[in-house]
Amino acid sequence: MRTGFIVGLLGLAMLSGCDSGGPSQPGNENAPSDSGNRNVIKIVSSLPHTGSANAQITTIVNGIKLAIDEAGGKVGDFTIEFEAWDDASPERGQWDPAVELANAQKAVADPDVMAYIGTFNSGAAKNSMPILNKAGLLMVSPANTWPGLTKPGVGEANEPMIYRPSGKITYYRVVPADDIQGLVAAQWAKELGCTRVYVLHDRELYGKGIATMFQESSGPLGLEIVGVDGIDPKASNYRSLVTKIKQTNPELVYFGGTTQTNAGQIAKDLRAGGLDVKFMVPDGCFEDAFIESAGAANLEGNTFITFGGLPADKLTGKGAEYYENYKKKYNNEPQAYSAYGYESARAVLEAIRIAGKKDRDAISAACGQIKDFDGLLGKWSFDENGDITTKTLSGNTVKNGKFEFVKILGQ
Amino acid sequence: MTNTEVLLQQLIIGLSNGMIIALIALGYTMVYGIVELINFAHGDLFMLGSFLALTIVGMLGLDQVPEPALISWGFVPLLIAVPLFCGILNWGVDRLAYRPLRNAPRLAPLVSAIGVSFVFVNIGLFWGGLRMDVFNDGVAAASPKDFPWIVASGNLLGEASNIIVTWNEVFVFGITLPLMIALTLAVKFTRIGKAMRAVAQNPTAAQLMGIDVDRVIGATFLIGGALAGAASVVYSSYNHTIYFQMGFRVGMDAFTAAVLGGIGSLPGALLGGLVIGIIRAMSDQYIATEWTNVVVFAILIIVLTFRPSGLLGAPAREKV
Amino acid sequence: MLDVIRRVLVLRAGWFLLAIALVLPLVDGFLPREYQFAGLMRPIFILAILGLGLNVVTGYTGLLNLGLAAFMAIGAYSYGILTCDIYPFQLGFWTALTLTIGIGALAGIVLGLPTIRLRGDYLAIVTLGFGEMMQDSLKNLESITQGTQGINPLPSPTLFGYQFSTEIWVPWYYLLLALLAAVVLFSRNLEHSRVGRSWIAIREDEIAATCMGVNPVKVKLLAFSVGAALAAMSGALWASYLGSTGEPSNYDFQISIIALCMVIIGGMGNISGVLLGAVVMIGFNSIILVKLTTILAQKGLIDTQNVLTVPSNWKYMIFGFALILTMRFKPEGLLPSRQVQAELHEMQEDARARKKNCAK
Repeated sequence: MRTGFIVGLLGLAMLSGCDSGGPSQPGNENAPSDSGNRNVIKIVSSLPHTGSANAQITTIVNGIKLAIDEAGGKVGDFTIEFEAWDDASPERGQWDPAVELANAQKAVADPDVMAYIGTFNSGAAKNSMPILNKAGLLMVSPANTWPGLTKPGVGEANEPMIYRPSGKITYYRVVPADDIQGLVAAQWAKELGCTRVYVLHDRELYGKGIATMFQESSGPLGLEIVGVDGIDPKASNYRSLVTKIKQTNPELVYFGGTTQTNAGQIAKDLRAGGLDVKFMVPDGCFEDAFIESAGAANLEGNTFITFGGLPADKLTGKGAEYYENYKKKYNNEPQAYSAYGYESARAVLEAIRIAGKKDRDAISAACGQIKDFDGLLGKWSFDENGDITTKTLSGNTVKNGKFEFVKILGQ
Repeated sequence: MTNTEVLLQQLIIGLSNGMIIALIALGYTMVYGIVELINFAHGDLFMLGSFLALTIVGMLGLDQVPEPALISWGFVPLLIAVPLFCGILNWGVDRLAYRPLRNAPRLAPLVSAIGVSFVFVNIGLFWGGLRMDVFNDGVAAASPKDFPWIVASGNLLGEASNIIVTWNEVFVFGITLPLMIALTLAVKFTRIGKAMRAVAQNPTAAQLMGIDVDRVIGATFLIGGALAGAASVVYSSYNHTIYFQMGFRVGMDAFTAAVLGGIGSLPGALLGGLVIGIIRAMSDQYIATEWTNVVVFAILIIVLTFRPSGLLGAPAREKV
Repeated sequence: MLDVIRRVLVLRAGWFLLAIALVLPLVDGFLPREYQFAGLMRPIFILAILGLGLNVVTGYTGLLNLGLAAFMAIGAYSYGILTCDIYPFQLGFWTALTLTIGIGALAGIVLGLPTIRLRGDYLAIVTLGFGEMMQDSLKNLESITQGTQGINPLPSPTLFGYQFSTEIWVPWYYLLLALLAAVVLFSRNLEHSRVGRSWIAIREDEIAATCMGVNPVKVKLLAFSVGAALAAMSGALWASYLGSTGEPSNYDFQISIIALCMVIIGGMGNISGVLLGAVVMIGFNSIILVKLTTILAQKGLIDTQNVLTVPSNWKYMIFGFALILTMRFKPEGLLPSRQVQAELHEMQEDARARKKNCAK
């Protein structure tokens, strides 16, 4: 009887697979049967609201909303609806793969969803990209910087084709990838007169990735890497590590990591350990929470932050317009990635305009056709991999407890 | 730096971290010794203590003043208020959550403690959303917070020295050592201390001798909590970063220390704490930071394989 | 009458849950989209297998294992290495799943051998430490595990020529449900076997059991190994469900604790109890709170930027109080096994049983 029962179960599984599979998979050929309102296009974002990136994420979502509002909430005859989804969970305190996966599936299942803005973390993108790609759903990321997501030959051997099971490109990003940021960071380190560099990373996808890119770019520039260490982001302090670093006499310590992976503590322990070196971090630390957690005094003057874009108040033209409107609307300062939230939303709206119809494949394809778009950092296009063509990066430092723009890098 | 200097410096760092771990481990070991409960909430109690310390520092305005020349007067109210808060909180939790479970299955109080730990973590999350004095809409609730310097950071051996010893290290030892000595003496010689030992050995017999067992257990929680409170002041002023999830890692280190030393043994907790602090420092220096956790637990497993009751623990006698 | 209903519910809860689970996807389709939740049930099935694994170790045998997540990680990564196309093996789902279960069992023995003689709480800390070691090792051994990249993409299972895919959730739902049912049957048979009885004997009184000829080390080791094997199985399913092993830190202490709470809230040593525990814990965690947050946010009732107003941020608070209150008022769990129940309420049960017998 028991075996019969299992066989029965499996049989049922097959049946339902054919039955209910239909409506929950708005396929490419068979138009969704319950396509809701014909004139409504839904855009969703999947970003980690829960957790320490929240302040940054909030301004990204505000940026998206601003872009949609400026378009009057409409593209052609279509009314645009926007929903901000959370891909984090309290127990992780950051993005959660199961939640991101559920979001992707939810988006695919909703026939009104025509674009997916996200993710914030490259690791999360790895989970959702193949699913969204199979459904032909347009995905635009405001913050993923792992090079392998789009570029062949930079990341793992099977990247980026594993993210494109349909063979088409449906994923675009409006930020320059880490291979560029790592390179300009190394160039900047050289300009700052440093020759001996100690590299730390948090053993996470983003942090380790960018630290590796930094390391690889350092050699040809003549920088000497005197040591590399992966840290434990939950450690109470890094004094022993700092003592070890001290023996190598570096001039600069590069940390590939974020505020959440304890960049603040490293900055403190470098000072407490009497190590008077420059400290360079990537844009994962370009948020107010970094200054708050490190203590402004510990960062003052000798901390250098690279960022794949310009700080909002340094933008010109279209960018300056955005900055003014943002401040007017939300009555506070946007954080670093807010502009990219705004830019991804505009790219999505432009793709819908070019496509002119409510069709996932058409909209995804249209996004790739965006050329010479009047963006925040000047005119840009998407290249053949889905990467943005602008490569403007900025170098920033901390002065008087605030981020201060130093110069444009990599041009 | 010469090799000797490196070794000395790492020893100093290891011992300082170890002392803090040991102070927290005492809370685990005392509670375990008396009610055989792994108090999972202990690390998170410590975390709440740190948040209270940061709040008090904010209220006193110590985050606005420059670093003190020696030690800020602020540590006096901190060292009174935070241990008091943690002690009473721990006592209250025992009263409400653990005491009704004294006769329940063994795992019941443990699960209850996990529950308390969850509640504490959540309170910590919300507490992090409050800035020192202003309600900040809970935006950056989860991000790490900076704890200002309340002890001078200048090198006592002179700026030219390669080895760094500051008033911070002195502060760590100056607070933890007297507390530990006082605790050991109290357990040995005071009435309540003797009662504690009696209850730890045999609660029923102790009760028959006229000892109010519940009061003694309550006192144990009170003292253990107060030590966690003191530890949170020392930890925050030494490490300068607090966040709502820190209780887990610190608690796990402390618990490991208690077990390594022999759970239930006060000197064992101290020894365990110091051993773990030093192993961490040495592993960071001579192996690799990324393997430090693995090294700590590998050593724990090896020690327990050969000494199943920890370094200083009494071998368990089976009661038949 | 009420008593009868209660008894039927307690004894046949597994069947009720199964019946509900079977029809759920069919009913779910009629709900408005934002209220549909059957697709989100899949993690419950996977984690219930983990819970059943812990039930063998902690529920039957009374050993506190706080590092079960490590075995789940072993399962996920073994499965990943055996199936992913960047490794030489590239096995199919079923072969890889079987091998993974074997690897899990072996890993359980390897950890168990040196530590199984430790007393209860020492074992707890060792297993906890093992969980932490596993996370760090998986991160550091990048040449084998891809570090924090995670191993992806992992192929979806095939069954009789049918290819599962990540987008269509209904076949997945029934596949996982069927596997869970298989594990339930396995556990149930095990419970009533000679081994199962010696586990329970060890839990109740190790010395007495030893005197009766039970070899405690061997029996405990076997429990450890079975628990690890089931944990590895849930890890493999988790990885194939996500299509990726994810980061090593996904298999952290939280997972072990959630499994422990499932077993204890549901009812130690009782399969139906563990299943109920899984439904309650995971259902609340990944369905109710998430749905509530989404729906409230859509209706504009809450401000997602404010930590205090988002329901899912209250999760730990609610979980915590649930655990404390369960332990306070029902320390044997919602659906305790008859033995545990009997110990706690020996007197009442005895009286009731006697009355019943008389009535007959």
